[in-house]
Amino acid sequence: MKLEPILAAIESVAVDGVTVDRWQVHGSESRQLSLGIKDRETGNAHAPLSLAEASSAHYLLVWSDGLVCRGTLERHQDPRDAFGAARATAYEDKDAAHVLGPAEFPEVELYDEDTAAMTGGQTDRIAERLEWVREAIDAANSRTWSGSFSASTAETRMRTSAGLDVQSRGTSYGWFVSVNGEAGDGFSARRPESADAFKARLEHLMQTATLVAEDVAPLPAGIHTVLLHPRVVENYVLGTLMQNLDGSAVAHDESAFDRSGFQSGRASLRKGIGLSIDPLQPYRGGSYRFTGFGLPAAICTYIEDGRLVQPILNVKYARRLDLKPTPVPFGNDTVRFGTASRLSYDAALEHTDVEVLSVLGVHTQDRISGDFSLSAPLALAVAGGSPAGRLRGTISGNLWETLRSDDLQFVDVPHETTPGMRFPCRFDSQ
Amino acid sequence: MLAPLEELTGLGAEMAHTANAAGVRLIWRTQVRSSKWTVVRQGRVESTAAATLSGHGAQVVTTDGHVALASRDDFEPEHARTLLDRVIATAGRGRRLGLQTADAVAFERLTGREIPADPAAFAAVDLGRVSRRLIELEKEIAGRVAGPNLSVSFRSELDAWRIFRDDGSDVFFAMPRCVLGLRATGSGDGGRHGVSATLFSPDPGMPFDDEQVELFLRRAEQSAQLATVLPDAPAHPAGSFPLVIDYALAKGLAHEAFGHASEADGFRSSILAESGRFKVGETVGPDTISIIDEPVAGDHAWQPFSANGIRRERAVIVRNGRLCDALSDPWSAGSGGVRLTGSGRAESYRSAPQPRMTNIRIESSEPLEAAGRFEDYGPGEVRELLASAGIFRRHPKVVYLSGYSGGQVNTAGGDFVFQCKAIYDLDERGVTLYKPAIFSGSMFGALQSVREAFGPLVLDAIGYCGKWGQQVPSSGGSHYFLVLEPHASVGLGGRE
Repeated sequence: MKLEPILAAIESVAVDGVTVDRWQVHGSESRQLSLGIKDRETGNAHAPLSLAEASSAHYLLVWSDGLVCRGTLERHQDPRDAFGAARATAYEDKDAAHVLGPAEFPEVELYDEDTAAMTGGQTDRIAERLEWVREAIDAANSRTWSGSFSASTAETRMRTSAGLDVQSRGTSYGWFVSVNGEAGDGFSARRPESADAFKARLEHLMQTATLVAEDVAPLPAGIHTVLLHPRVVENYVLGTLMQNLDGSAVAHDESAFDRSGFQSGRASLRKGIGLSIDPLQPYRGGSYRFTGFGLPAAICTYIEDGRLVQPILNVKYARRLDLKPTPVPFGNDTVRFGTASRLSYDAALEHTDVEVLSVLGVHTQDRISGDFSLSAPLALAVAGGSPAGRLRGTISGNLWETLRSDDLQFVDVPHETTPGMRFPCRFDSQ
Repeated sequence: MLAPLEELTGLGAEMAHTANAAGVRLIWRTQVRSSKWTVVRQGRVESTAAATLSGHGAQVVTTDGHVALASRDDFEPEHARTLLDRVIATAGRGRRLGLQTADAVAFERLTGREIPADPAAFAAVDLGRVSRRLIELEKEIAGRVAGPNLSVSFRSELDAWRIFRDDGSDVFFAMPRCVLGLRATGSGDGGRHGVSATLFSPDPGMPFDDEQVELFLRRAEQSAQLATVLPDAPAHPAGSFPLVIDYALAKGLAHEAFGHASEADGFRSSILAESGRFKVGETVGPDTISIIDEPVAGDHAWQPFSANGIRRERAVIVRNGRLCDALSDPWSAGSGGVRLTGSGRAESYRSAPQPRMTNIRIESSEPLEAAGRFEDYGPGEVRELLASAGIFRRHPKVVYLSGYSGGQVNTAGGDFVFQCKAIYDLDERGVTLYKPAIFSGSMFGALQSVREAFGPLVLDAIGYCGKWGQQVPSSGGSHYFLVLEPHASVGLGGRE
């Protein structure tokens, strides 16, 4: 979306004598191609080959009377009319009434020509990989499978009244496959992985699907050594940590971490545990050039050696907490979590009773208390260091106690950037 | 607010003509969703915003049955024509990707219009005035329950769709949705815990409607009180117990356990189907129990027509304990062996519709009486209700799961899970509070174990359903309370 007409409208808009003093506009234009597969049917009416074009601009206006308003401008809207209407939503928020100025922005590799070509209809690579999946499914005699492939390209530009003017161009690619409605895996990044990496992940998925087809005797109810697969760690553990590190939650005392915890230097998690992001890595899904409020991408640490370093802060909550804004996490593949020393996957399985591959109900958990009680319909019993067959059950405990426990160990899992987590946990078989 | 859609009559006819000339079927979805919301915390406005989502999506089916969808976020005729040409060409290349061919049952030409709300009332929502009102309500709640951090919100939304088809169909409807919400976070020695409360109305004036506000304050007060005591409540033991669940949890059970498994697009893997066909007539619950899905006027999930431009019909998923209707659309009814119920819903014009629920309920043919309003029943009153019905003679202790905090299901295995807001042990001696825990297990075990129902139907348990990555409003309910016998395949997750 061209920003010039929007900026001209900002310069000229006046409502009852009130004009715009400061502003931030973040425009984007995107194209996407996606294709779904439902129960072996590729691109059926419920998951068709889809093409999408979109263009919009997010804005922040600080009016001359100090009130602020935020909104999104659609492609077809007249900016002057939209800003006039937005004035009716303006409210007083001194912390939100600020925009960032120019800065040094890193060059980050985010754009891939092949992926961009896919969004224009070049579907050969998707067709090839679809065929590999179909072959693997047929070879394993699997009953059914579902999944999706997608590619998108986007160009964004941000400008502020303080002189910031920065652009970015990026692509995204991703796929997901689930076998028999249960075992699933996928990949997402700024460009496709190599053919070998795709096939290796697919082969591992098919092995898992074979394992979960075999039920084994339930474990006795009680505490067992449980290994959470990295997808569960991303879905539940990282999700919970990020929500509690969010500046808004911290500022409103709606986080497990209070403000004083970030200043005291006391350990909130077990010594050695860290949480940071590196959005500068080339072609990662979580990489970017600048945040949605105009801060340059940079490596950023939120938790170090078990101590809280800083919340995840946009401009508003940085001011409210009297801290500096921080880069924000954008995808799990740029998050570094856990301890420096990790168990290998094989070594970890030697002393594991259950590997939990997926959980249901993550979004129903209370993120502040850390109490968890999750259904684990897809888990593997581990015997003699090897997965032995499928278990169904529930896991329960408290995440904060787990992250403070000396019994917690982080595990390198093949094909994954996020570690697994092994710890004693209540597991009730069903 | 609806003007952009009103003006599309000519372009809709032209798009249909183009599709006919190209020999493809067309469903052209156009949408304008206008939303406003505000959040207040600690006596001040935290954020307000107004937004619209508008655009169109053209879904075509070629003569050989290949399907493609293209969307764009404006209503410019020239771009719409170009998009239609592009999507027709793309669908025509479907064979190269090995795309499935679609086989739809016949559906009739339809012209319809249902716009129950006054668009002007939504356009006139004054967020400054609403924000001041929310600050008053926050103060009122804080005066009733000291301690927890409060956040009060209001959202109004008018979601308007106009759907054209190549057969000349033209269906225009608008769905009004307004929600007052509270989030209370309590602190104690045992950490912090958050509890939410909501109230839905189709009327954007609800923050100023005394009756609505009184009901919201009642719910908000109960949630705020719970937030103050939950941080220090103990965890409940795990296991299978006799249970009583409220109507919101019963909605969760109906939605997660049976609703999703009866969506006909999933019949090749659903536990309620065999060889892709719905197991009509199979016994899945007691003969006193039925599960019904239908659009309810004035409800959060009300939608009178499907996103394919077909009138939405009532579906009796379980009739007196036996499977009866599925939730279907033209592309799933035939292969699933079920009648067409017009259940296709989509998050937006960008998405392909899928069979989805609207308002789903569990209904008993033999409900027992429960006097007064649902909000009159705290855990103590529920205990008295059970005692008066003699439940404690059968089970000395019953576990009461109160409030719904979301759920999930695996339709292939029939495993469901949902979370309550609080757990109470009820027995002859009194009431003991515990922290919430997951309620999970087999859908068949859960429904088979329903024994008693108390009170009239309440159908306003609202939420959002995220099937296949698309969020659409959902709602439903049941009688005030359902009593479930213990069942080996259904249990509470716990810590001990």
